Amino acid sequence: MELSRRTLLGGFAAVAGGTLVGCSSGMDTGSTTKKNTTTELTMWCWPGGLGKSVLDDTIAHFPDPKIKYSEIGGDFKQKLVTTFNGGTGIPDITGIKGEDIASLLPQASRFVDLKSVGADSVLGDYLEWKVNQATTLDGKVIGLPIDVGPTGLFYREDIFAAAGLPSDPAKVADQLKTWDDYFAAGVQLKAKNPKALLVWDATDLYDMVVGQGTERYISKDNKFIGDQDHIRKAWDTSVKAMTLKIDGKTPSGSPDWNAGLDQGTIPTHIGAAWVALDIKSAVKTSAGKWRLAPTPSGPANFGGSFLAITKNAADPQKAFDVIKYMLSADNEAKAFTDAQIFPSAPAAYDKPELKAADKFFGGQVPIDVFGPAAKSIPVAYQSPYDDSVAAPFHDELKTVQTGSKTSDAAWASAVSKAKAIAKRQGVQ
Amino acid sequence: MTSTATVSAAATEPLAGRGQRPRRGIWSYWRFYLALSPFYVLFAVFGLYPMVSTIVLAFQRWDGLSARRFTGLDNFAFLIQDPTFWTALENTVVLFFMSTVPTLVLALLLAVMLQSAVRFTNVYRIAYFIPNVTSLVAMAIFFSSIFSTNFGLVNAALRSLGIPQQDWLGQPWGIKIAISTMIVWQWVGYNTLIYLAGLQAIPKDQYEAAKVDGAGAVRTFFSITLPQLRPVVLFTVIMSTIGGLQTFTEPQVMVGNSGGTGQSGMTVVLFFYRAAFLDNDYGYAAAIALSIFVLVLLFTAINWRIFRGRGEDR
Repeated sequence: MELSRRTLLGGFAAVAGGTLVGCSSGMDTGSTTKKNTTTELTMWCWPGGLGKSVLDDTIAHFPDPKIKYSEIGGDFKQKLVTTFNGGTGIPDITGIKGEDIASLLPQASRFVDLKSVGADSVLGDYLEWKVNQATTLDGKVIGLPIDVGPTGLFYREDIFAAAGLPSDPAKVADQLKTWDDYFAAGVQLKAKNPKALLVWDATDLYDMVVGQGTERYISKDNKFIGDQDHIRKAWDTSVKAMTLKIDGKTPSGSPDWNAGLDQGTIPTHIGAAWVALDIKSAVKTSAGKWRLAPTPSGPANFGGSFLAITKNAADPQKAFDVIKYMLSADNEAKAFTDAQIFPSAPAAYDKPELKAADKFFGGQVPIDVFGPAAKSIPVAYQSPYDDSVAAPFHDELKTVQTGSKTSDAAWASAVSKAKAIAKRQGVQ
Repeated sequence: MTSTATVSAAATEPLAGRGQRPRRGIWSYWRFYLALSPFYVLFAVFGLYPMVSTIVLAFQRWDGLSARRFTGLDNFAFLIQDPTFWTALENTVVLFFMSTVPTLVLALLLAVMLQSAVRFTNVYRIAYFIPNVTSLVAMAIFFSSIFSTNFGLVNAALRSLGIPQQDWLGQPWGIKIAISTMIVWQWVGYNTLIYLAGLQAIPKDQYEAAKVDGAGAVRTFFSITLPQLRPVVLFTVIMSTIGGLQTFTEPQVMVGNSGGTGQSGMTVVLFFYRAAFLDNDYGYAAAIALSIFVLVLLFTAINWRIFRGRGEDR
């Protein structure tokens, strides 16, 4: 009896000890990277991240080792980070969302530098600014771009025409060249049609203007520059829309936004190419009345993702062959037909899949607007802490929008909050 | 009596025979500990370990992937001077009062009404409980369309009454009303059922005695029902405190991660979520989590003192 009790306790101790060891090795920061086996090539992406026909074709094209694809729902980055910390089950190939790439660049040691497996030969096929997003300051490339999110101006042709504004896409492009032109059109529209407010949400617009610049909140040498003119200009542009009273205060994706698009109270939206899907699914009666024009004051990018190879990959060369194949211009054009995944390789823009006219946009060819936009998106350095530092600017801009603070007071408060956050993250 | 004596005699005899042991060692109960162990093992893995590591993490800097760095009280120092934390704290407390008080009052009224209802009592019980088991995210989306400015149900009702429409999810107070309405809607049924169980435990003869003495319904409620329900009320208040101070899903789905206009929907847990999963500042998030723990402890202690009552105070 005594013996068995001791054995039992010993067993418990062993289990407990094993658990502790397991946990502590998990907390180790990647020093214990266990190579995956060569029998399978595991690949992770989020739902809708890759075109279905492209995926099926790629799996058939590479029978050895067999590609095992897993669709990971929910908070993708969180699950990837947790798996990295766990140390087991790390995929060979993983998707990385555009909004997460900046914060993963400091972790470049967990990914294969694609240049070391021969990426130099294909990097030139992709939009340069997009490749730059996945390039570390010392020149490592950790991801090959899947797609990009160039912005355009979506507008209701019928409502523009009724208000005496130009309605033909070419004429809209001619007249609405800058934000001032756009706002002037908004004032004219409101005079004729008081319910139609040109700016769906001025705080959303702020992000567009920041995205049009070549600098963001933190400079390459890790200095806070969010209090400088380029941010203040975006701030003032957004505030101007509010003071002109053409701000609809309706965040995109909200129920009011969905209803407003169809009812004509939200006659325009400026957003990435993928917003077309949202608008299409939101409206019932206004299909065919929508048109596309270039973004006033130039394009910006929203969204767009990457495929990366982790250091755990047993055969990085093979993994690279797979992603190179998947993201060829031909396959990117197919993915666009599959799920509106907007290609990151400019050669795809000339493929018939993208040259198709879109009935929803009255027979307009969307690529004529988004293609040139994608090629001329300004390059801005995005720090890993960019999003955290940007948050106070959004928060404070909302207080100006509701009239509870003046623009100057809100600006001062946003800058001081952002500085505190930046300082905490080690930004000078 | 005799059987007990026999058993205890039989149990002590062999021990006495062996002589020296005054009582049975703790290890001789190993079968019982083994039977209980699944709970403790699960608790250690899923409860204790995360708790301890959160406390450790609160004294470190960690971005989720790189090496952890011990920074002492840095996280707490930053927490105290972070204006967003104080906004979140204030919002949480305000939302707690705006949702808990109406919830419990409504639940008590409903429970008393249900107690006296004769027909379809079970139907009502199920109906009241349904909100509690409905998916919170789905309901938050539903409520945000009810409260939306131009095409929402609430504003449609206001317009038909000739009252100007309100920008519910764009105004600081509107956000709080919308969030607390949803919390009330969700938790009234749950608390009603608990009160109903409490009501059924009150002896019928007390009510009969009150009736004989000529007490009316109101007098009976305040002199018999409410005092007898005191322990149940304490339970619901503490449960609501713990739940209410952890409000997260409702504001996150209704006004987003920023907490909406002027951060008026930013609760402490939402702030925690933002620090950990959006800013990748896990150490700071752990410090915020500890502040929630302290807050819950504080409020529970206050409620305990208020609702415990004089009878059990000794």
